Amino acid sequence: VPVRVAPDAFAVLARAARFHQETGGAFDITVGPLMRCWRFAGGTGEVPEPAALAEARERTGMHLVELDAERRTVRFRRPGVLVDPGAIGKGYALEQAALLLGELGVERALLHGGTSTVHGIGTPESGGQWKVAVEYPGERGETGPDQVLAVVALENRALSVSAVWGKWFAVGDTVYGHVLDPRTGWPAQGAVLAAVVSPSATETDALSTALLTLGIEGHGPVAGAHPAMPLLVLGRGEGGRFAAVARGMELRPSPRLVIVPVGTGREVAG
Amino acid sequence: MDNKSGQPGSGLDRRDFLKRGSLASLFAVVGGREAMAAEIRPSSRPRYSRLDGSETVACGLIGFGEWGREIATTLGRIPSVRLAGISDNFPVMLQRANRSVPDAATHADYRRLLDDRDIKAVFIATPTHQHRDIVIAALQAGKHVYCETPLAHTVEDARAIADAAKAANRQIFQVGLPYRSNPQHREVFQFIRSGALGKMTTSRAQWHRKQSWRRASATPERERELNWRLDPEVSLGLIGEVGIHQLDTADWIYQGLPTAVSGMGQIMQWNDGRKVPDTIQAVFEFPTGVHLTYNATLTNSFDGEYDMFYGSDGTIMMRDSKAWLFKEVDAPLLGWEVYARKDRFYRETGIALVADATKLAAQGVDFTADDPNVETPLFYALEEFVDNALRGPFPAGAGYKQGYDATVVAIRANEAILGNKRVTFDRKIFDAVS
Repeated sequence: VPVRVAPDAFAVLARAARFHQETGGAFDITVGPLMRCWRFAGGTGEVPEPAALAEARERTGMHLVELDAERRTVRFRRPGVLVDPGAIGKGYALEQAALLLGELGVERALLHGGTSTVHGIGTPESGGQWKVAVEYPGERGETGPDQVLAVVALENRALSVSAVWGKWFAVGDTVYGHVLDPRTGWPAQGAVLAAVVSPSATETDALSTALLTLGIEGHGPVAGAHPAMPLLVLGRGEGGRFAAVARGMELRPSPRLVIVPVGTGREVAG
Repeated sequence: MDNKSGQPGSGLDRRDFLKRGSLASLFAVVGGREAMAAEIRPSSRPRYSRLDGSETVACGLIGFGEWGREIATTLGRIPSVRLAGISDNFPVMLQRANRSVPDAATHADYRRLLDDRDIKAVFIATPTHQHRDIVIAALQAGKHVYCETPLAHTVEDARAIADAAKAANRQIFQVGLPYRSNPQHREVFQFIRSGALGKMTTSRAQWHRKQSWRRASATPERERELNWRLDPEVSLGLIGEVGIHQLDTADWIYQGLPTAVSGMGQIMQWNDGRKVPDTIQAVFEFPTGVHLTYNATLTNSFDGEYDMFYGSDGTIMMRDSKAWLFKEVDAPLLGWEVYARKDRFYRETGIALVADATKLAAQGVDFTADDPNVETPLFYALEEFVDNALRGPFPAGAGYKQGYDATVVAIRANEAILGNKRVTFDRKIFDAVS
């Protein structure tokens, strides 16, 4: 049965569908059943039984969600579909908050929604722009000047950083992070960190998540679809070093970092 | 114009925010909802027919503060509603309305909204003391009217509203007492009336939040207007803006109005120059001799909001659109409770009251799980009103009489609270509206 939803909710779902398309499915808000299956929802995670994973994958995918813009309705094409707005909700909330503050006449503010998304309105009173450091994903959460990967300056822009430093668990040598690759049903093995800057916090939140899944190898289509958007993808390189692609963000030089050129999407398309 | 964040289902804690903010509808309508259950769970079905959107009614919303926006969001999910006009006297709110409901015309003056002949029904969510003029103008313009409670801050204004609603007998007038439309409350009402609690002996209700009620805005003028709930000239305080809903539940369950109320109020936490208490206690005496003790505070959030009705055979707790029965050891066996879901509350065991549990079991539905399709009381109330506007007139879920009575009780209770005294009710005031 199609369910009518409020305009705001529909707008978020429609944008989520667009991000899904743009990222070739690397961004997908229907990962709810997978999150449950891997017990990341409310737990610390464990590798699921193959049958359970297969069942959860059948209930995952944006193609199972039918959006009717005219009637503003949502219909699930099969039972058991679950929407998990976790990878877009915080960005959307910050975007709305920034909009409301702007309407009420607030000219400068830094809004921080936890570790993943920050939005700078205007500039700080002390001059310059809002400066936010992006750190290497620390093994044990250590922090300090050595950990700084890049410093991003924001003015009416949002920055989102996705990394596997949130929830994770290890089996043997393999670390499983809480960002699941909706295309495979397994935790994303693409990158260890991804960051995006854009005027829209909704966009940065969604695309940083997608880039974490896509990794350095797969980041081309997103970079190509948003040619002016600053972005950063950090992956594991050779010899225990990190490899990174970056555009519009200056990386702090470090012996443990190897820079890789930014893709355009053509190498994938062609 | 401002919000009424003491309304049922309203709140500021994180869980409520997730349930009810703009993203809230995303969580509530799509997130975590398994589509299967929607078609077979009858417990979330109100007694009226569910609208499918094949017919629509053009609606107007007057007042786009926090509560008005909550109404707009809820209306946005009812298929048969077309929100055609929104009015507010604060320009920023109109900008916000333009953005969140782009199809609605916006008006700084509510009379222009009432001039729109297409609009058949209006929702009034302005500060309480502005209701009277707007309700009367809306009824004169031939609109069906849904007006928030309390209806007014004076008995005189409440009476004028009720009289106007009664006179407009071909138009629907529903008051904002959404528990009256809530399927869970209706179930509990029937359950209690069936005698399951034995002799009704006492009751207790509370509303606890930690929030100042003080709101900041860009200019001092706007801030004064926005903080009408803290203005003793026009505000009925916690008992009026919040307690009225729980008092009305007691009136409903006891099938009568109180004969007297004793009250006290204090400013315990938010001592910012305000005169309106942040903490109140009131005891209501009902004709059968049973009492309701009511507590509300803005200083502490422990245990939130709930209603307890105690009897010689058991206790009912109503909380978050759910209800439990706690039986006394010597109470007669009801039979079905053997199969029902039990929830532990420290050393007590509550038997979850689930509407239509037997039917659900027959359909193979796990009735012990929480129903993912439960809507807010506000949703059911608005849907009932719109259904009535389209297919009625039927008697309103909560009509002018209930609204008037509840408002009078709240006004007198506020007098008791501010005066630290006992106030008896003059029956004639209630009987003035029939």
